[in-house]
Amino acid sequence: MRKIKLRKRLLFILAALLTLLNVAPLLWVAVSSLKTRVEIFANPPTFLPEVWRVDNYARLFHDNLPFLLNSIVVTLLSTLGVLILSVPAAFGLSTFSFAKKRDLEMWFLSGRMMPPVAAAIPFYLTLRQIGLIDTHFGLIILYIGIGTPLAVWLISSFMRSIHPAICEAARIDGCNWWNIFFRITLPLSSGGIATATIFVSIFAWNELLLPLFLTNRLAKTFPVVLTSFQGQTEIAWELMCAGATIQVLPVLILTFFVQKYIVSGLTLGSVR
Amino acid sequence: METIQDKQRPSHLNSVSGGRRKPLHGVASFFRHPATPFLLPAVIFLFTLTIYPFVYSVISSFLNFSLTNPRPPTFAGLGNYLSLFADNLFSVAVLNTGLITVASVVIEFLIGFCMAHLFIAIADLKGSQLLRTIYILPMMVTPVVVGLLWSYILEPLFGVMNYLLSIVGVAPQPWFSDANTALWSVIFVNVWEWSPFMMLICTAALVSIPRDLYEAARIDGARWFQTVMKVELPLVRSTVLVGIIFRVIDNFRMFDIIFATTRGGPGRATEVISLFAYRQIFQYFNAGYGAAAAVVVFLIAMIFGTVAAKLLPREIHHA
Repeated sequence: MRKIKLRKRLLFILAALLTLLNVAPLLWVAVSSLKTRVEIFANPPTFLPEVWRVDNYARLFHDNLPFLLNSIVVTLLSTLGVLILSVPAAFGLSTFSFAKKRDLEMWFLSGRMMPPVAAAIPFYLTLRQIGLIDTHFGLIILYIGIGTPLAVWLISSFMRSIHPAICEAARIDGCNWWNIFFRITLPLSSGGIATATIFVSIFAWNELLLPLFLTNRLAKTFPVVLTSFQGQTEIAWELMCAGATIQVLPVLILTFFVQKYIVSGLTLGSVR
Repeated sequence: METIQDKQRPSHLNSVSGGRRKPLHGVASFFRHPATPFLLPAVIFLFTLTIYPFVYSVISSFLNFSLTNPRPPTFAGLGNYLSLFADNLFSVAVLNTGLITVASVVIEFLIGFCMAHLFIAIADLKGSQLLRTIYILPMMVTPVVVGLLWSYILEPLFGVMNYLLSIVGVAPQPWFSDANTALWSVIFVNVWEWSPFMMLICTAALVSIPRDLYEAARIDGARWFQTVMKVELPLVRSTVLVGIIFRVIDNFRMFDIIFATTRGGPGRATEVISLFAYRQIFQYFNAGYGAAAAVVVFLIAMIFGTVAAKLLPREIHHA
């Protein structure tokens, strides 16, 4: 018994070391974001900043605060839009049976197969035609289009696990479908909706390709800003580290609170 | 095709939902069906948003269509596709994408499988849950940041990686800046980000294996290697396959990491399909040519996805 316990302890230490190794790059960037430009290029590198400074962040926000706000606005509104469309659709798919249902499900899923670059030119030309290039609205519409298939897929697999007998009982009691939807299915599938919300908002927060060519000045989002620190001749590493920290910190903190939903979402539909 | 859900659900509920036993047909019944108001908004929205770009892409791929040329595009027939298949850069992009996909997914699976075992072994110790959450953090990092972060760490002159290597006596590596190492550096970065995903998938699959199978294998005198090969791998196969399919699709449209690290270089060492199409359209303004590349990517993804969906057992598909 003793031996087994010792073995487990050793395995735990091994897991802890590997985990530390795995997140060390993240810590390195966070630490570097507090260094001066000179210190970043120091050889040998200093592991902790000589003086902890937030100058990089001050400079970053001074120039780029509007773009961070763009990211926040686009993420929130597109997630809201996805939920408005996908929750009823998931209810429709999971509750009713109708002809060609299987085809409709596959059609929803096929939205995930489309490489974004395949939609790039038509999106670009259409948005340009109707004057939505470089607007929040244009981005939000496209993000909703990309997020909805994923959300429908996730939420409907969740709703399927609700016992049909409950709906049936409500139906016999004279409940109409909208009542069943709002009063029974919605509260019972809150876990699935939470999971979908997390995945969809993380997608919107992370997306680079679409804003890269659909925005240039006004509606530019934060990931695009991050790529702009790589100039032609030199790279503003200290700003990049600060920007990278701002970009990932909210998601990483969120992860600790919603770990349960992330794991269930991944194992449910095996989404990314 | 019968779904699990149809099996589980009592048949009379279906009859309640449709108002009658047979599925409804025709326009009138379509509007009377109770599912319609729930599904219609999403269907209309997605239909207009996806069908138009798709048709547009297919049409432009048959045109001589440049964004800088003010004259209306002319019909090119299969011209774009023919020059695409003759284009050396495109075949390099396809090969690189394939190599990155296969190598990443295989290595991710191996690491993920081992880490899943490790975390399962310590699952009842205090703090192991927290440890696992920390371990999965890389997959939550914005892909473009993953690229920037590693191009900082793997910077050949002052990057911390070469410094650490020099301490243990390894010569500094050029990483992203040399044609021989760039592709493997990209794969390394990709594996770093996505191994935690495979770990989660493998964990989910492994914990669902009934305990008595291990017991039986032990009684039969199976060594751990035999247990892995004969008990675990066959049983985790279908779940892991789902994870692999999604990783393959994601790798196929890989863009952010490459854009943030090498932009396809040095030379054409890390050129991938998405980047190729992006550059054709937004740098060289060859909309028709880029569209042809995009259509090819889409077809490959579609064929792969359909084949994969057919291969999967039903219950996984609906799980």
